Amino acid sequence: MYSIQNLEDERNKNKAANEEDYLKVTDLVTNFYTSRGIVKALDKINFSIRRGEIFGMVGESGCGKSVTALSIMDLVQDPPGRVVSGRVEIDGFNIFSDIKDLARIRVKSETEVKIKRNKRAIKKHNFMLSKIRGKKAGMIFQEPSLALNPVLRAGDQITENILLHNKKAIADSLINRANLSLDDVKLVVDEVLNNKGETKSILNNWCRKNALVDLETQINSIFKNYTDPKEIENEIVSLIKGGITLVDKSSLIEARDYYDYREKMESFEIKRFAATEENDRELIRSIEAEEVKLRTTSGARFRSYSLRRIFTGKKVEKAFKMEANRRAKELLSLVSLPDPERIMKSYPHELSGGMQQRLMIAIALASDPKLLIADEPTTALDVTTQAQILKLLRNLNQLVGASILFITHDLAVIAEMCNRVAVMYAGSIVEQGDVLDIFDSPKHPYTVGLLGAIPTPQVKTDAGINLHTIPGSVPNLITPPSGCRFHPRCSFAMEICSKSKPKLVELEAQRKVACFLYSSEVEE
Amino acid sequence: MELRFFIIRRLLLMIPTLIGLTIIVFVLMWSLPHTFLASAFINPKAPNRAQAILTAENQLGLNQGIVLAYLHYLANTLTGNWGYMTLTTPIKFDGTVLSGIGLFFPNTIQLVIFAAILSILIAIPLGTYIGARPNSIADHSGRIFSLSFYAIPVFVLAVVFQVVFGKGVIKGNPVGIFPISGTFSISAINVISPPSWLVSGVGGVVLSEPTHLIIFDSLIHGDYALAANAFMHIVLPVLVLTLSLLAGILRFLRASMVDAANSEYIKTARSKGVPENIVIKLHMRRNALIPTITVLGLLFASLLGGVVLIEDVFDYPGIGYLALSTILSGSIFGVLGTTFLFGIILITANLLVDITYAILDPRIRY
Ligand SMILES: Nc1ncnc2c1ncn2[C@@H]1O[C@H](COP(=O)(O)OP(=O)(O)O)[C@@H](O)[C@H]1O
Ligand code: SF4
Ligand SMILES: [Mg+2]
Repeated sequence: MYSIQNLEDERNKNKAANEEDYLKVTDLVTNFYTSRGIVKALDKINFSIRRGEIFGMVGESGCGKSVTALSIMDLVQDPPGRVVSGRVEIDGFNIFSDIKDLARIRVKSETEVKIKRNKRAIKKHNFMLSKIRGKKAGMIFQEPSLALNPVLRAGDQITENILLHNKKAIADSLINRANLSLDDVKLVVDEVLNNKGETKSILNNWCRKNALVDLETQINSIFKNYTDPKEIENEIVSLIKGGITLVDKSSLIEARDYYDYREKMESFEIKRFAATEENDRELIRSIEAEEVKLRTTSGARFRSYSLRRIFTGKKVEKAFKMEANRRAKELLSLVSLPDPERIMKSYPHELSGGMQQRLMIAIALASDPKLLIADEPTTALDVTTQAQILKLLRNLNQLVGASILFITHDLAVIAEMCNRVAVMYAGSIVEQGDVLDIFDSPKHPYTVGLLGAIPTPQVKTDAGINLHTIPGSVPNLITPPSGCRFHPRCSFAMEICSKSKPKLVELEAQRKVACFLYSSEVEE
Repeated sequence: MELRFFIIRRLLLMIPTLIGLTIIVFVLMWSLPHTFLASAFINPKAPNRAQAILTAENQLGLNQGIVLAYLHYLANTLTGNWGYMTLTTPIKFDGTVLSGIGLFFPNTIQLVIFAAILSILIAIPLGTYIGARPNSIADHSGRIFSLSFYAIPVFVLAVVFQVVFGKGVIKGNPVGIFPISGTFSISAINVISPPSWLVSGVGGVVLSEPTHLIIFDSLIHGDYALAANAFMHIVLPVLVLTLSLLAGILRFLRASMVDAANSEYIKTARSKGVPENIVIKLHMRRNALIPTITVLGLLFASLLGGVVLIEDVFDYPGIGYLALSTILSGSIFGVLGTTFLFGIILITANLLVDITYAILDPRIRY
């Protein structure tokens, strides 16, 4: 008899090689069905992003970078667009496991396409995705002024995300703080006051022990601002108990158990939804067994509770909201926004472009996702702000440990930011590898052209880098060139290039190129 | 806090608008022959007519030049001295313009408020539903509905409704159950000794005490059968007004919902994992209501125009009836008074629209 844990361990072992991939995109195809014809925006995209890395994606405007970003979260505007086939695995979950059920697309001719959407399947799909989006991956867009909701306060836009995905964690920290007694606080205050030199480490230990890490900086500053031990104690207690005093601990615990139950049931559901591997059938069976067990032991209790609405009661809600607000303020300081208190209450239009983008990053980080998808996050900003945002993203990558998919058309930024990079051309990835390798020895003729277009550092302009030295223009994706989509502009083009599409093959470790100069493998 | 300042500022801004309104009405008055003005201003039942006309000339400041006359007009308006008018008079009517307005205005307010509340209550959820599903069957039906009801003039609609739903208009029509004129049926009261709180006048106009709204007055006096009967009488006029207002709101809400749905912040909301129903009800609708609110002011103005026509079609004793009968009887101060009243209503409606707008759209304050 397998338990879920065993099965998962085994599965993880099998995948040891891939395990470090947090995002894995396989053969992704996205089309736009417009009245002028089918825009074949993504033509079998393959790449993967490891945990913790910054993965760059570069290419001319219109090559499909944004569509890639949106497809990963299934956010492509429909109509006219649809992800047609392929897999996107985020943290091991294939979000397109049900892609065949969502819509039936019958192509009669280029301009006449019948799409029959399965409303029920789409509804279920969107419901499942709402559990994955935000929680597993967050997104940052090019125009923060458009991407932020103009009528909602900054604070509400952050806490929305926190409250959507982190209810149990919030309940936990509320309970932890409710558990703390005045004596505990007295003890640590004494200790700090007697060992002035070690304030930081004492507090760090204490906060860690009592799950108060998120309050550490604030507690620290209380010691700086007050001298009287009584005052320090009072300040710390009111900081820690802020919001909790509203509710008695038992309803917090009930709320925690309830959200714990809900999160478990949800994760079962997501696992079942996104399990696609052959050997997952066994996993599913054991998931179902566990699910039934959980439902029979706790389900009844929570059903009757939900009748009494204890955990959604006004007071508990309010405590949750206050805790979420506190976390939101921390996020605002994390993204280096000054005066979080004020920002929480502001509306997006009251902030500058750079501040808006920081806010956007804070929102994306609010539910603690392990992947940030940043689609040209600095293109709309002025140069100094650009540099600051890039630095912030690099720091966050270190601090939070989230991987970043960094999309840009600016090669200089890629060089500065990324570990690995994929070069896109007209809906395909043409080359991929470590940034240094690619900059040292570009292989694909398009990459060579791109790098030729990069000005030397001295002549680097403020406006970033445009790709004007490659002759020819970006192809129309309704009737893309046959075979290798780059062949009309390629000075090395051979006969086969217009007939077949080269496959993205691994030339050496971590180096992939799609070009017949290097391999004769054909993409079928 | 900021909102309060905005409202105060907006209220202060109403003052010049109101002054503008008084100037317009005053100029209308001033352009009429002055001898006629004085004789129209006095109580027609005044015992000493010549003396009364002299007093009126002084009250109106007719001989004191335009500036002083305007100040007199302002003072008269503010003190409720709006002049007299002739009507096909209900018994209790004392002849002053203000009391005439007091008698008939409640009936109009009743229609407008019922229609406004009903149409907003229906339009917002319906527009949200439809706007979130563009090009669905619901959307197409909604568009056909709103386009046709938006295009058909209300009085035509009123007549059509009288024919289709009017009691006794078409023999054997199963849906023809609604009375098509007046505020209640004579058969619903004891004609020999009518209730003392019914005030009847010449020409069949009957008004009730104390609110002049027969539905509420009969409820107050415990005559539930009459209340039900009176209620049936307002169904058709309210329905017609509701439909035309609903069509307008729906059209704009639908369009703004579609606009909102295509915006980047909706992608952001979805990328956060916000469930679809909240994406629609919070993120889309909050934004879509803003442009909708602005047209609500315009729609309301056309509703006021419509209600005058509708009252005529349904023989309904409201402000439209009052305006019409003052025009017919040449009671110039009745006409000026109702014009002033309509101006005030529009200004107030715009104020409400602006405040709602400010509540919904944080960008409006500066
Ligand atoms: N809503 C849309 N309708 C039709 N075509 C679209 C739409 N969005 C994107 N495309 C097409 O998809 C291709 C890739 O666009 P995009 O991903 O936005 O480029 P970029 O690399 O500049 O981000 C372009 O050819 C564009 O025309
Ligand atoms: S496959 Fe052919 S056309 Fe394409 S890049 Fe390589 S050489 Fe050029
Ligand atoms: Mg783009």
